[in-house]
Amino acid sequence: MAMNEGGTPGGAAFGDVPDEETLPCGRELAQVWEQAETGEPDPHTADCPHCAEALRALRTLEGVVARARADEPQERQWDTAALAGRVMDVVRLELRPGRTLALGEPDEDAWIVEAAAARTFRAAVDALPGVRAGSCRIETAVVNAASGASAPPAGRLPRGPARVRIEVQVGLSWNLQLVADEVRGRIVEAADGELGMRVAAVDVVVADLLDEDEEDREDQEDQEDQEDQEDQEDQEDQEDREDREAEEADEVEGGQR
Amino acid sequence: MPGDRGRAPEETDAPLPHEDALLVVRAAEGDDEAFEALVHRHAPVLLRLATRLLGSPTEAEDAVQEAFVSAWRKLPEFRGDARFGTWMHRIVTNRCLNVLRSRPPVTALDSVPEPQAPEHQVSPARAAEAHAAVRDLSRAIEGLSPEQRVCWVLRELDGVPYESIAETVGISQEAVRGRVFRARRYLTEAMAGWR
Repeated sequence: MAMNEGGTPGGAAFGDVPDEETLPCGRELAQVWEQAETGEPDPHTADCPHCAEALRALRTLEGVVARARADEPQERQWDTAALAGRVMDVVRLELRPGRTLALGEPDEDAWIVEAAAARTFRAAVDALPGVRAGSCRIETAVVNAASGASAPPAGRLPRGPARVRIEVQVGLSWNLQLVADEVRGRIVEAADGELGMRVAAVDVVVADLLDEDEEDREDQEDQEDQEDQEDQEDQEDQEDREDREAEEADEVEGGQR
Repeated sequence: MPGDRGRAPEETDAPLPHEDALLVVRAAEGDDEAFEALVHRHAPVLLRLATRLLGSPTEAEDAVQEAFVSAWRKLPEFRGDARFGTWMHRIVTNRCLNVLRSRPPVTALDSVPEPQAPEHQVSPARAAEAHAAVRDLSRAIEGLSPEQRVCWVLRELDGVPYESIAETVGISQEAVRGRVFRARRYLTEAMAGWR
């Protein structure tokens, strides 16, 4: 694109844009515009006709740019359904189902992929008020590894009771020990009732505490959740430390289930 | 808006970061429904960005579609150092930059705007005049180099701070300032007739 960095070929009237341009008053054009952008006051510019002319050119452009922005469709008017459909058509050809887990009894030959089992567990946990499930990994507890059980086919975990590790975001109003027990209960229930999977242990990790009022606020800005986290840390430094201890305790306790 | 860091005002509609983080973790572990939710949440902002960068809604859709597909492939390695929205913004921008670079060079006749156009309009309706100015601007933008165009659009239409543009495009902040300046210089000349 050699032609382009400088503009149009042949150095036509609009193409030749020098890196620097000095106005007749001695000021650099770039500097005058940058000052205008940052709002830096400059007594020279206020009185100088050359600078004024340069600024007028910039303002004209800005006016048209503002108009162009106003003419754009509003964000909610973009039709994203067709786009999402096309994206998901490709995505579903490239799924990452994870490993295959055994269900039921050895003679049943029933299996489920990890992603599907994880989705079932997350949905069960999401049904708890103020709780959202994040990462969910499933392993099989190693049972009699040495005792002659034939190795599972590639991509399948050995048959045996599952060990589930799930991360949750929890509303501040929850007692963390209680929520860990509830989460564990829901997963065991879903594993048994919906999947027919034996679960040996559920490790619950509270990955994040959520300020439940946050979602009601209107001015959701980028930095807000960062501030929220900082707030939480300020107010609940002590509690936070206890939380972490509780998490660790959960993981240990989960193993006994 | 309070705490404005140079983002365009409409960015306040951005999806909740907490929810995004959750969906990203799920999608990275193979949950395609979580990914679909991310697509729906971020597609509008990204389509607008790509349309601004490319000037063509059809090409913008293609670019955003490809960006999402590539994001799905890369998600297992996405560590969440950046927000998903920021990450997608970068992927879309770079894809659009490549699209612009692969376009055949515009001929001088196509690209050089006609600054004297307004002189032909003796007393046009104000709306029509504004519309014509916007059309002239769109044509003038076609005359920018891909690099100038991307930097200028991110700065002036998307309201991205210089340092973020530098990060996105992978060049120094000074280089970004230089490109934005040259783009402004070119466009003010092109729009001189509207002064």
